[in-house]
Amino acid sequence: MAIGYNRTTPAPTGGQVLGAHPAPSTSSTPVIDVRNVFRIYESAAGYFTALRGVSLQVMRGEFLCIMGPSGSGKSTLMNTLGCLDTPTSGTYLLEGLDVSTLSDDELAELRATRLGFVFQSFNLLPRATVLRNVMLPLTYTDIPKSERTKRAVRALTSVGLPPEYFDHYSNELSGGQMQRVAIARALVNDPAVILADEPTGNLDSATGEMVLKTFVRLREAGKTIVLITHDPEVCEWGDRTMHIRDGCLLSDEEERAVVEAHGGTGRGRT
Amino acid sequence: MKASDLVYETVSALRANRVRSLLTILGVVIGISAVIAMTALIGGIKMSLVGEMGLSQARLVTVNYWGERKIYMNDLEAMAKDLSDDYETILPMATTSTNVNSATKGLQGSIYGTKPAYFEVMNLNIVQGQCFTEEDYEDGDQLVLLDELGAKNLFGSEAANAVGKTLRIGSSEYRIVGVVEKSGGDRGNESVNVYMPFTTLSQRITASNSIETVFAMARSEEDMDGVATRTKQWFIKRLSLTDEMADNDLWVTTSKSIIDELNTMMSSFQALMTVVASVSLVVGGIGIMNMMLTNVTERIREIGLRKALGARARDITRQFLLESIFLTLSGGIIGIVVGYFGSYGIAGLVVNALNMTSGSSVTPVLDLQTMLLVTGICIAIGVVFGYYPARQAAKLDPVESLHYQ
Ligand SMILES: Nc1ncnc2c1ncn2[C@@H]1O[C@H](COP(=O)(O)OP(=O)(O)OP(=O)(O)O)[C@@H](O)[C@H]1O
Ligand SMILES: [Mg+2]
Repeated sequence: MAIGYNRTTPAPTGGQVLGAHPAPSTSSTPVIDVRNVFRIYESAAGYFTALRGVSLQVMRGEFLCIMGPSGSGKSTLMNTLGCLDTPTSGTYLLEGLDVSTLSDDELAELRATRLGFVFQSFNLLPRATVLRNVMLPLTYTDIPKSERTKRAVRALTSVGLPPEYFDHYSNELSGGQMQRVAIARALVNDPAVILADEPTGNLDSATGEMVLKTFVRLREAGKTIVLITHDPEVCEWGDRTMHIRDGCLLSDEEERAVVEAHGGTGRGRT
Repeated sequence: MKASDLVYETVSALRANRVRSLLTILGVVIGISAVIAMTALIGGIKMSLVGEMGLSQARLVTVNYWGERKIYMNDLEAMAKDLSDDYETILPMATTSTNVNSATKGLQGSIYGTKPAYFEVMNLNIVQGQCFTEEDYEDGDQLVLLDELGAKNLFGSEAANAVGKTLRIGSSEYRIVGVVEKSGGDRGNESVNVYMPFTTLSQRITASNSIETVFAMARSEEDMDGVATRTKQWFIKRLSLTDEMADNDLWVTTSKSIIDELNTMMSSFQALMTVVASVSLVVGGIGIMNMMLTNVTERIREIGLRKALGARARDITRQFLLESIFLTLSGGIIGIVVGYFGSYGIAGLVVNALNMTSGSSVTPVLDLQTMLLVTGICIAIGVVFGYYPARQAAKLDPVESLHYQ
């Protein structure tokens, strides 16, 4: 299979608040700039190449969906974008900053201040209130206490969670409410990018739709979002979809070509 | 991460595991309360012994001699002259035991013959009347003082008017001139202490001039060991004693030597208890380490999440380290409280066991220094046994931890 090389997509169209958040360099610099990244896992069973020369640019204010079958390397890519994992080779520039040059502590600081995560399984702390959960990332920043509550309330308001839930324990909420709290938590430090790995995977379709609408609203407010899914319907909410197959990233057109070449075996594993 | 955030996280994590936390710190509580109870008790015993002997008695030297050649007043006069640099007061004391009768009642009495300065030296207050004088002493007058309890035993409700009444001891009559405050332990209500001039005792009752005990008040408490040595030397020479006789029959003691002896005894006891306490603290520490390791395993996902949200390795280390310190510290504080109040319970038993006089109870003494030391030890245990689990937590890989089931 050919290595999926993605030509830089032009800035997304229509209605976007480009540059709503001042970029460190010019607004034409992609927030995420991944170049020819490989990620090779070493395990008892041998080496496994989960990402094969992935290149990807995401512009400020873009809502990108990455779709692919199970085991194709979606989570690996997400962990790389989220600075939780470092590429075996290739470069990753986050807001123009080469991540490979950073120490563990600097990576942690980057995660605390520039990145927001939304997980499939919510990952809220059950013995903390909604407000505390949302404030959690701020405890790892310099933001003063007085400011933290204000920010958390603002984030919770922007995901549309009614204020009467703010003091509930997170395990008293429904799945959809939990995921919105998780999104608020990802938002609270005003990150450059929100990374969401299967955010609707544990939700029924109606609740999932509510969560996706939340993402759309955030994008309209100028947030940059990268969302991972294996569900084609979810991709329709985004500005652009990329496909990942066996560790290679493909654009829509390339994906169609591959599907035709394989006689329409669609999204099954190859 | 701010200190207040750390404290908040710690408290809420421990509150979530209240029962387990309490059970885990039990080892530390037991170890610390043992140490505290013991320390408070020893402090209390020392305090009450020293208090009993009186402050002035730090300067008191007691000489006893049981040999053939008795000690007489002229020996004391020579001593006062030869050791005038060392002593400001030297007193004779002889005792006997005989029947003492009031107009209405007869009791077994302990009779003490001495000089008027005795009461000051022994720190005994005269609560009624006054002391016989130096002149009465010279003349061998038949004047006595009673102890408070003895006065009550002899006169019952009339005890408050004891002064001026007459006692009969043997065939002679003695006039009561004063009552001194209660001294000595609980002797029951069938005895009385009678104090009279040494001369009166030797002429009228014992018919002997010999002195049983010499009480001498040093000029300063600086060099009590030196004073005691010089005194011993002086008596050996004066009485022409061989080494063997000196070892067997001559005792020169200072209250300092009593306190020293007590200290030696207490410190071996203390060493034993320290070993016991250390063992229980190590066992307690291992319990805490065990709990913290379980804690880390149970919270792997939480740790992964915190790292994903921007926690640095040292934030995680601190969080878990603080948890174990909090555990040992609260164990220590509970231990201090339990140990202190427990020592009150044991104090009652000790008073009986040591047969302590003066009927005084032992009040446990706990000084700030001990509490700070114990607190420091607890923090150290928390750090030592919490460090490994905390490092394990900090080293976890965020991606793997987030997927941990
Ligand atoms: N730590 C690891 N060690 C070895 N191989 C790994 C490791 N993590 C992932 N892999 C392998 O890399 C491949 C990609 O994994 P990844 O988790 O990125 O898939 P995914 O697209 O997220 O799948 P899913 O949709 O099931 O979540 C898989 O085949 C997986 O077996
Ligand atoms: Mg995945």
